[in-house]
Amino acid sequence: MENLQVDALVVGGGIAGMQAALDLADQGFKVVLVEREPSIGGKMITLSKVFPTLDCCSCITTPKMSSVAHHPNIQLLTYCELQSVTEAAEGFRVGVMQKPRYVDASKCTGCRNCEYECPITVPSPFDRGLGAYRAIRVPFSTAVPQAAVLDMENCILCGKCEKICAANAVDFTQQPETFDIHAATLIMASGFELTPLNAKKEYGGGALRNVIDPLMMERFLAPTGPYGRVLRPGDGKEPTSIAYVQCAGSRDTTLGVEYCSRVCCMYAIKQAMLISGALPLAEITIYYMDIRTFGKGYEQFYQNAQAMGVEFVRGKVASIREDAEQNPVVKVELTEESRTVERTHDLVVLSLGMLPATGSNEILGLPLGTDKFIAVPAPNASPCATAQPGVFVAGTAMGPMDIVDSIVTASAAAAAASAYIREHQKEAVYA
Amino acid sequence: MPENSVPENNPASAGEEIRVGVYTCHCGGNISHVVQCEQVAKLLGKLPDVVVTRTDPSFCSDTGQAIIEQDIKELGINRVVIGACAPSLHEQTFRGAVTRAGLNPYLYQHVGIREQDSWVHSSDHEGATEKAVRLMAAGVAKARLLTPLAPIRLSAEKQALVIGGGVAGLRSALDIARQGIRVTLVEKSPFLGGRMGQLESVFPLDEDPRQLLHDLIQELAAHPGITVLTQAEVTAVFGYVGNFNVQVTQHARGINDDIAEALMAACTQETTDEFNYGLTRRKVIYRPYPGCYPATPAVDWEHYNGEPIHVNGESIVLKDELQTYELTAGAVVLATGFNPYEPHQGEYGYSEIPQVITLPQLIRHLALLKDGDELTWNSSPVRDIALIHCVGSRELDGVHEPQADGQVNNYCSRVCCTASLHMAVELRQRFPKLNLYELYQDIRTYGRGHEEIYRHAQSSMVRFLRYHGDERPEVIAAPDGDTHPVLVRVKDYLTYGEEMEVPVDLVALAVGMMPRQVDDLVNMFKVARGADRFLLEAHPKLRPVEMAVRGIVLAGTAQGPMNLQESLSAASAAAAKVAALLGQGWVELPPFVAHVNLTKCNGAGACVKACREDGAITLQTFIEDGHEVQRAVVTPANCTGCGACVGACPNRAIDVQAWTLAQYEAMVDAIAMEYPAFVEIYR
Repeated sequence: MENLQVDALVVGGGIAGMQAALDLADQGFKVVLVEREPSIGGKMITLSKVFPTLDCCSCITTPKMSSVAHHPNIQLLTYCELQSVTEAAEGFRVGVMQKPRYVDASKCTGCRNCEYECPITVPSPFDRGLGAYRAIRVPFSTAVPQAAVLDMENCILCGKCEKICAANAVDFTQQPETFDIHAATLIMASGFELTPLNAKKEYGGGALRNVIDPLMMERFLAPTGPYGRVLRPGDGKEPTSIAYVQCAGSRDTTLGVEYCSRVCCMYAIKQAMLISGALPLAEITIYYMDIRTFGKGYEQFYQNAQAMGVEFVRGKVASIREDAEQNPVVKVELTEESRTVERTHDLVVLSLGMLPATGSNEILGLPLGTDKFIAVPAPNASPCATAQPGVFVAGTAMGPMDIVDSIVTASAAAAAASAYIREHQKEAVYA
Repeated sequence: MPENSVPENNPASAGEEIRVGVYTCHCGGNISHVVQCEQVAKLLGKLPDVVVTRTDPSFCSDTGQAIIEQDIKELGINRVVIGACAPSLHEQTFRGAVTRAGLNPYLYQHVGIREQDSWVHSSDHEGATEKAVRLMAAGVAKARLLTPLAPIRLSAEKQALVIGGGVAGLRSALDIARQGIRVTLVEKSPFLGGRMGQLESVFPLDEDPRQLLHDLIQELAAHPGITVLTQAEVTAVFGYVGNFNVQVTQHARGINDDIAEALMAACTQETTDEFNYGLTRRKVIYRPYPGCYPATPAVDWEHYNGEPIHVNGESIVLKDELQTYELTAGAVVLATGFNPYEPHQGEYGYSEIPQVITLPQLIRHLALLKDGDELTWNSSPVRDIALIHCVGSRELDGVHEPQADGQVNNYCSRVCCTASLHMAVELRQRFPKLNLYELYQDIRTYGRGHEEIYRHAQSSMVRFLRYHGDERPEVIAAPDGDTHPVLVRVKDYLTYGEEMEVPVDLVALAVGMMPRQVDDLVNMFKVARGADRFLLEAHPKLRPVEMAVRGIVLAGTAQGPMNLQESLSAASAAAAKVAALLGQGWVELPPFVAHVNLTKCNGAGACVKACREDGAITLQTFIEDGHEVQRAVVTPANCTGCGACVGACPNRAIDVQAWTLAQYEAMVDAIAMEYPAFVEIYR
């Protein structure tokens, strides 16, 4: 058991958690950043390019990951689960359990020889199951920390990795490690989960092979993706007709998700533009109810997509079936024309929405909103304050939002947390 | 006084072996899909002093940076050249990596081969590859002549200036002060609160905005670290991050508290009340609303005609006196807010048909009604009302009439959809028999709790009519004798394109947001505006609330349309940046400033004449061989590194550090050089 005393504990190493940690650390506060996965980076690091600037996603995310890793005021705890949170004198006591990597991260050089040697191949969640990785691997090429992790579930204990490792870092006997952290304040940046692909049965997600989720498309489009090109998963054919079904997980009372997920219009338009670049002959159709391109520069982005020939069809998709060639056939009510048609595409992307991430929110027992995201009782007075004094929230943990808004709320949460530390702690840990 | 810590411009110590590492970044395909990076790396390897050349999918990642660090440590690389994105993105990232490896950060040269090459030559792969080679060869040529430098460290004033006393400025000021940094808040009008005070209820929780403002202002007023100056404006700015010297000019309040009430009561002169968007008139001695801050009434100097006011048998003539303050601020928050879009004459009948008003006016009109009053306009009952969305927003070039400055507002104003629907719900509750029409393109109730307001409106007998952006509704005066004074014509796509004519008693235009006119501040602080005319952030994701000019941050709707919650977040984020910047008590400026070689200077003073900055280069007296001579001396803190003095010097005695004439010459030679190997491969 290791004891740590810090000014702030940030839960979640996605873009919001990283930004909140950096803003606090830049002010001289000592921060612990706790991440559930073996690497920080969150959902953002899996994306291809980001709207509306079409900057490559790595170019924005990886330097932030690097800054977090090198910041003298930030201690990074990856592959960790929150165990308990209790109020304590001048703050909170947080129990954190670090899962065994079965690799000594302090010795591992990230050379990946273990990975090359490992005989077991498993589908990679980083690539949404479209690619594969080994049972022992560095999570992805730009992972932070650059240390291998072994998943015991798939390991056959052949020992090849242990033999090849020049640093003697592989350790099959590694045990979970626990941390007892005393923090003056907490920032929840626990992020979101994508709506499950099969949430709406009528759309055939999960059953029809050429109906995919938007993060799969991100991996097709990402230069670090599994194929380096856009192929449909059913038969590897290059699609020439691609459709997006908007609000496939949002604004839908039958799914119990009444809210708008805010990002789906923009990511669909962005992917349509990127596909137009990768497959210039492809026809792209976006079926929508309302186009919500409300952010800075977003409306112009939408207009550009229209000018590029992306087809926007106002209509509600009723169902999707498959024809004999595994082509998805979309049945759509054209709400501007009073008729229902069936249109066949090669590939359909369901524009799924955001659901709250589960796990750490429950440990804290923070009150949630009707949307199940962390409640913010006074959004127009303290936009990042939760119902629990001293606990702040950043990014999509408080509801769907895009990257820009996540980063801004993260900085705002850092400002609120730092003021709280100064006003409630007799002596801050900061220098 | 700033401490001058610029070291002597050490030439590369004699005998030092130059070992250049050259790194060509794929930029995740942004560069490598156009430029043949491996080929670039191979060719650059043939240049003198180049010890290693490498490529990587992204050198800015931690793994990529580690490669460079390792080369510095293990191969003794002492000059680093990286071809990647624009230096504005990641030059600092790589300086950090180079420093971590123990090398002076200024022995690194960044070459932009994305913005300057792959992005602009995407259809000419060979040409782009050749250009990358030439640009990077120039980088190598320059790198070989780089010398170690140190940044200029200046003490920074632990004091911030916030411009704008609306909710964003208030929130920023308070959050900065809570970090132990003193704040001066400057507000142009006589009262704090800005646009928020003009609202009656804020979505999604229907709070009372003036109560929220009151709570915020009470906290701010009680904070010992905050000075508030109302009726004040910034009139001059000198200096730079850490030390902005700002002149603030303030009007007199003009009245003492003890006779303020009597004066206000006695005042008979009136003017248009901008608080009610021109719906009412107010006195020229006034308070916008009860409970405003400061509580003392203000004199509207612009409209007060100078006539005496008779109080208790006395005739009092009020006099304005301008007072100026000088203050030093380490950082500045621009929170200058927005104005509602003002439709031009005849736009949807505005200012031609008396029954056409804006949504902000409708909010004020409802506030002026008493509980239980029927809804009337110009004393006529309102039975049918239409709200039209996207007025002054989402405009299309070639479809919409440009504004006076030639602009059309392409952008979405974010708040109008929810604000209109929120209004519809309120109208339904207060006036159950009213017929309500919402004319829209797309409903954008994106925020938390906003979709619920839309549903509420849908279930409250609000009739929705959907138009296309290029077929906007038409508002015309109804012929005499019609049942209603106004007709709204719209091609409605919810009824499959039917041409509808809706007779109404009142039309409210949901006008978008426009930035306030801040030309003077833009010029004084030398900051940028975007194509939408809002103030422009340095980068939407890397530095979303900072401007490109260091030390200047943005809060709220000065940057673009936002709702209240978003403005508050942005304002707190701005405070976090200011706290980080000023917390240490010093800031560092890059050392790219002029440097005089005293052995070549003959004291002619051409540089002093050419210099555009105050006190950046001066002639000082030295003793040389027993004689007094004049020589040019640079004050680095005041120098912007523009190079005007370099061009003016007849003796080539001045250089801008890290951008010397010798380095430029080497770069030009390299760019123009024939590359036999290059020619061989590509012809």
